[in-house]
Order: sequence, then C-alpha cells, then structure tokens
Amino acid sequence: MDIQLKRGLLDVCVLAAIKNEDSYGYKIIKDMKPYIELSESTLYTILKRLEIANMLTVRTAEHDGRLRKYYRITDAGLRRIEEFKSEWKEVVSIYRFVVKEDSHE
Amino acid sequence: MNKEEFLNGLGNALAGLPQDEVNERIAFYGEMIDDHIEEGASESDAVAAIGSVEEIASQIIAEIPITKIVKERIKPKRSLRAWEIILIILGFPLWFPLVVAAFAVLLSLYIVLWSLVISLWAVEISLWASAPACIAASVVGFVHGNIFFGLMLLGCGLFIAGISIFLFFGCVAATKGTVTLTKKIALGIKSMFIKKES
Repeated sequence: MDIQLKRGLLDVCVLAAIKNEDSYGYKIIKDMKPYIELSESTLYTILKRLEIANMLTVRTAEHDGRLRKYYRITDAGLRRIEEFKSEWKEVVSIYRFVVKEDSHE
Repeated sequence: MNKEEFLNGLGNALAGLPQDEVNERIAFYGEMIDDHIEEGASESDAVAAIGSVEEIASQIIAEIPITKIVKERIKPKRSLRAWEIILIILGFPLWFPLVVAAFAVLLSLYIVLWSLVISLWAVEISLWASAPACIAASVVGFVHGNIFFGLMLLGCGLFIAGISIFLFFGCVAATKGTVTLTKKIALGIKSMFIKKES
C-alpha cells in the first residue's frame, strides 16, 4: 500500500484502538491484529507522532510489579476519528469511480 | 536471546541517539516483551516475536532525521575549555576549507555517479532516435534504386533498434541501482554517527 495512505490509516486505527478505554502497546497491537498487522517499531513511531500532535496522552502506571505505559485519547484524537469517517465517504466514492473505469475496459 | 541481551544490544546499536530517546525505546520494547511473557510466551519466544536487534535498530535509524543524529553526535560531552574554543576559532581558516573540500569531493563523486547514469540514458535515447532514421534512409535508398545501400541501412537500423531495446533494460537497472545506493549511503552515514565508538 502507498506509504502516505497507510500512515494516515494506521494513525486512525491506533486512535480507534484506544477510543473506548485506555490501552497499552501490547494490547493495541493485539486488538488491531485481526484487521491490520503492526510491528512494535511502527507502533512506537505512531504513538510518538500522535502524542506530539496532542491526540493522545501517556501515563505510566504500575502493573504486576512493573511499569506500563497507558495511552488515552484526547478530544483532538476523537475529532480526528470523526474527520476520518467523513473523509472516508469521499475515498469510497473515489474508489467507486476507479472501479467503474475498470469495468469499461 | 533473553530480554536483557536484547535490550542491551538495542541500547548499543542506538548509542549515538539522545539518551532519553534510547531509554524510552528500551522501556517500550521491555514492556512489550514482558507483556508477551504475561500472555504465556517463553522469554526467548517473546524476544523473537519482537524481531532482531539489527532490524529494529536500522528501522529506527532510517526514521530519524539525520540532522538530529549529527547534532547529538557533535554535541560535546562536556563544555569546552576556553583554550579549546580559542583554538577552534583560530583554526577556522584551516579546518573550514578542509571540511568544505571534503564535502565537495564526496558530493562530486556522487554527481559523477549520476552523470554516468545520465550518459547511459543519452546513449540509449540517441540509439533509439537513430534506428528509425536509418530505416527511413534505407527506404530512400530503395526508392532511388540503390538496393545495397538500402539493405545496409535497413540492417543497421534494425541492429541499432535491437541494441537500444537491450540497453533500455540496462539503463533502468542502473538508475534503480543508483537510487538504492543513495538510500544505502544515507543509512551508512547515519549509522556512522550512531554506532558506539569502540
């Protein structure tokens, strides 16, 4: 897939993974797995980018005698998801157009 | 490989990066490994699931802008003493041209590489253009009744056309090779700054 497109999609996927409850790295990857494979390094980059963009906040909490980082979505992050939903309608209509062009051949 | 070996290896591979960033990444991968273990994986399986140190390090290095790496690298470990600063300033007429010259030499080597590729394409285009020209001239030869002249030009035209088709693949390969080399050089320069001094 085109890198720019994939990057944008993954950002929204990660936001969706923490939308309903705070989550941590391992769980985010596990939750996304049925839909899209994500490597740890890629997740790190995405989380960092979203944190800088103020779309999520990070807190460190103790879990089972060790530290774990939990990620919480912000209002800006929720807005991004909504934005994506409305953008997606446009993408779908572009897709329909592309597919239609194909069937004429 | 166990968790400690993995995290130490990663720390060494990223030694040239800002220390907080290295620590943060090590904590991140450590947490990942612990979570894999908590889900029932053995320690070595958990480490294997994350990937190899080299792979992860080179991916991280490729993502970080080179300016950040160089800035971290040239940042002195301690503040400079007065005489060192004076020396740097006095030495400026000497070291500055040297740095510029070294940079210029490397840059020109790189440009030479691309000019080779461009000249290859120029040959390709000229062959490609001359093939139809030869064939057209052969037609003129035939029309004027000069059969041998026409045949010779026709042969030349087809021959050149054949070579230009072959050369096209060579040109594409050379261009791709140079682009790959450029990426490798960029990665090489970055890792030069990142690898721990041994």
